[in-house]
Order: sequence, then C-alpha cells, then structure tokens
Amino acid sequence: MSSSSSTLPDTSLDALAAELRYVITDMICRSGSGHLGGALSLVEILITLYWRAMSIDPKNPHWEDRDRLVLSKGHAAPVLYVVLAYKNFFPKQELGTLNADGTNLPSHADARTVPGIDMTTGSLGQGLSAASGMALAAKRDGKKHHIFCIIGDGESNEGQNWEAALFAPHHKLDNLIAITDYNKLQIDGFTADVLDLEPLGEKWKTFGWNVFDVHGHHWDELEKTLSLAKALDNGKPTMIIAHTIKAKDCPLIENQPGSHNIKIPDRETHHQYLASLTGGAFPLPY
Amino acid sequence: MSLPENFHELELRFVYGHVLNELISRNKNVYCLEADLSKASGTNPLVLQEHPANFINAGVAEANMLGLAAGLAVEGKIPFCATFCSFASRRIYDQITISVAYADTNVKIVGTGPGITQGPNGGTHMCFQDLAIMRAMPNIRIFSPCDAFELRAVLHFMAAHYGGMYLQLLRMKHPAVFDADYVFEEGKAKRLAEGNAVTLITTGYTTHLARPAVLSLQKDGIAADWLHCPCIKPFPVEDVVASAKKTGTVVTVENQNIIGGLGGAVCETLAEHYPVYLKRLGVPDKFGEIASEEYLLNKHGFNTEHIISACKESVQNKGKSK
Repeated sequence: MSSSSSTLPDTSLDALAAELRYVITDMICRSGSGHLGGALSLVEILITLYWRAMSIDPKNPHWEDRDRLVLSKGHAAPVLYVVLAYKNFFPKQELGTLNADGTNLPSHADARTVPGIDMTTGSLGQGLSAASGMALAAKRDGKKHHIFCIIGDGESNEGQNWEAALFAPHHKLDNLIAITDYNKLQIDGFTADVLDLEPLGEKWKTFGWNVFDVHGHHWDELEKTLSLAKALDNGKPTMIIAHTIKAKDCPLIENQPGSHNIKIPDRETHHQYLASLTGGAFPLPY
Repeated sequence: MSLPENFHELELRFVYGHVLNELISRNKNVYCLEADLSKASGTNPLVLQEHPANFINAGVAEANMLGLAAGLAVEGKIPFCATFCSFASRRIYDQITISVAYADTNVKIVGTGPGITQGPNGGTHMCFQDLAIMRAMPNIRIFSPCDAFELRAVLHFMAAHYGGMYLQLLRMKHPAVFDADYVFEEGKAKRLAEGNAVTLITTGYTTHLARPAVLSLQKDGIAADWLHCPCIKPFPVEDVVASAKKTGTVVTVENQNIIGGLGGAVCETLAEHYPVYLKRLGVPDKFGEIASEEYLLNKHGFNTEHIISACKESVQNKGKSK
C-alpha cells in the first residue's frame, strides 16, 4: 500500500511537478491538440492527493478500502493519467499513446481502460453526483474511506452540481471531499465574464458544506487542508476551493482564455510549448 | 415480508414495490432510488418501510438520482431508479449515455407511466419516444413487460445480470397474460397466438389491446400470429423474421410514436431480412394531450377496432407494396 506516508520533501515535489508538467505538455502536443490549461492547473492538487492525502494501492486498484477520486472535469484526464503512471498503476510508456487511434488513454477520464480511475467522466456536471453515490455507498456499508471529487469552475455552471450540492449534506456525507479547480477561466473566457460564480464559497456554505479556500499550487496549504478535511466528521461534506492558475508554468498560454484546448499544427509549435515551460525539460518516459 | 400470493392482481406499481422488496431481501446490494415520485412508482410505503436503508429519495433531481446510481453501482450496488418515462429517458438522456451506458455501470432505470397512460398529467408528461431514444443508445437493454408475472421475471433478470437497463413500467392494474410458470428469455418474443394470416406484434400496454382484436379476427377466420415483445433490445430478430416469412404481412402496435420504437425496430429488421407489407399503429408523430386513454387510442388510431381493421387490410394487401 502506498499512501500519505510518502516522505518526499517539498523541493522534490517541485521537481516532480515540473516533470509532470513537461510530460503532460508533450503528450498533448504530440497528439495534436488537447486540454492543456485545465490539466496544468491541477498538477499540485493531484500530486498532493496521490502522494500525500489518499490511501491507495497501485498493485490493487480496486482495493475496497482505498480512497476514491472522481475527476469530474474529465477533460483534464492527461494530468490524472500521468499521476497514475508515476504512481505505477500502469507503465509510463503508455503515456505516449494519449488520444492515439486505439489508445487506452482517451482525452476524457476513462475507468474502463485505465487502472486507478474510479469513474468515467467527460460530460460536465455528472461527477459530483457519482461521487455522492460512492460516498453514500461507503456510509451504508460502514466504510471509512473518502471520496474525492474535482470539479472545474466552468463546470460549476452545470445545474446537476447543485443538485448534488443539496443531496450530500442532507445525507451527511462527510466522507465526500470536493475540490473546485478555480482557475477563473472557462472555454469562452474568464468565469467572471461568462457566468460569474461569486461568491462561490458562500454558495457552498449556504448549501451546508464545510468550505476551505486554498492556494491551489501551495504544497503545505494543500496538504494541511486535505488532512483537515479527511479528519472532519461533522456530518457535512467538504468543498475545497483551490485558487489555481490555468496553464500554470506554460507562459505561452498561462492564465489566458485560449488555454483551454490548444492546437498544435506542427513540430515547431510542439517544441515552442516544451521550451516555454518554466520548470525546464525532462527525459520522456516513452 | 414475501410477495403476496395475489400479487398478479395488484396495480403493477405495487408489484414493482413488492418485487424490489423480494430482491432486497435476497441481496442487500439492491437499492431503490426515487425522485419524489415514490408513491407513483409504488415503492412508498412498500420499500421505504420494509427496507429504509436501501431506499434513497433524491428529491426532484433526476439527473442527480441517475448520477448517484452510477456511483452506487461503481461500489457494487444494484440501483433501480424510477421516475416518469419522460424524465427517466429524455430528461436525463445524456446522464444515462455517459454515466451508465458509456461508463458501463450496473444501473437499472425504470420509466413509469408510458405513453398515453399519463392521461391526467397531459401532453407535457406523455413520453412517446422513450423506446426510440433508448434503442439508439449502445449498451442499454430495454424491456416493456405487460403483466405482473412478466414484470417480476424481468425485474429478477435485471437484478441478476450486469449492465445498464431501461424498463417501461405500467403503473396501473392489468389482467394477467401469463401465469406463475412464466420464463423470461432475453431477446425472444412470446407467441400469444399461432396463425398464418398476419403477424401482429405488440409490447407492454398494447398487448392488452391486441387480445380482443385477435379473438375477433379468429371469429372472422383470420388467424393472427401474435408476438408479444417484452424485450425491445436486444430485439427478437429471429422470431420476427420467422413469423413474417410464415404470414407475409405484419402489423405493429405500440403506445409510442410510430417512429423509432417497436414499429421502427420491426421495419429495420424486416427491411434488412425479409421485406413484407407492413402497417405501424401507434401515435403518428404527435405530442400527447390531457385526455382519457380511450380518447387518445381512438384519436391516434390504435384501439382494438383499429388493430382489427389494420390486420384485415394487411391480409388483403399481402404481397403488395404500398
């Protein structure tokens, strides 16, 4: 079992984050297009979850007592694939097949083909409901594990999230920990301009959730907040609003409206993206 | 509490409630999900009282109910989600597509009050296309049983077999067509009358309309080969083709728009395998309206008299193309 017992110091985590950003960017670029911005905004969050917060066993992806993760913003799948491969759920060599014909790693998170993925997602707004069902199952079965669910800020426009937001506190699902990847951008522009979510934390509080605001790229804050959320048993689900930067550390598109889905027409553009990454270059595992 | 001895005399929604209790008693992983229509589905108070831990009311939030079911199913539960057909199919079509069919989760969807049986709720609640739109979705099996014995057998099948499934549940009382020896066979039709003159194909509600029609035709010397199709998907292709080869002409009757449902499935099947003169009865591409079943059957042309006329016309037109 691998779990929160990992002892990587923050400096190693920084290096890991930089390496994962490099690999994610290369995977998406070599496939010709992809959702780079929303994958890069989640790197620290997913590393903290899989190296520090979640109880998992890569050798036994269906281990009954593991913590679960539903990546409701399924288009960020590349970051989850990279994290799972680096946690040895499947060989890293497979990462090079993202979006290729016949691949096991499609653009949106697929539990049918990827060991370690707990729920298939892709059509926005559905993951928090599924995560609530998983949390309810755990409660009814007297299980102690946690269900994590990551939703996007643009995704939060979908009404189904708010149906689940009503349901989870009503059923006292304090084993459900949701995280909003609040990078302030959605496909058509800034969330404040397209459909403002503010006051976002107040909304979740009013719905009956524990709410934490965190810096979504800060190791210590993320780890402490996740640890605190896991320890909470006050009958309320928890929403962690993680303030992040879309396409973080990729200056070509960082915090820009065009960062949601990039197009890579040629090798030159591919190299420009890789060369622009502030975390530097790394050997590719495929 | 076991199934009442006279369960086949109950309203079918109460059969649903009783059979869910039966299934939960045998397997604690079976769950009953509702979206504030639990009395209409017949699970409240039946399931709520007997198995409260397996009863979940999502409130008026069908999309969330379906998503919860997918999550429960991922954890090994077997959720049965009931609401009116209109909400169980068209309102949450994308949720079913992605969280059930595409994700391949073990969720059972129960659409209640199919077609014109939503009379008092009127046109907004009448769903004439659930068979059609569910048919067009991969990895979903579709059932439309006609009586209590068949409903029970289909529910047992659904609980015992993995995969996304959609059931049309008639809510009210309907006379028994079968008996306690009924055996459900996936992808097979039930032959309710043997004949060579015309193939008559019905499902669910319309099977009850066809019985007096078949008897009347027999009196006129016309022996219909009557197939009841409890299983819309996988469709009983072999049974339908074999009957069409025998009779040379087909009439379909459905409590649905004639586009894409039972009639559509028969047309696709026979166009490919054995084209014959064919007539589809049902709702001719119209919305519903608030009215009695009698009024709507008459208006849209699929009451017992219409079935008799269509069968006679089909016998006369055998061998012709329209």
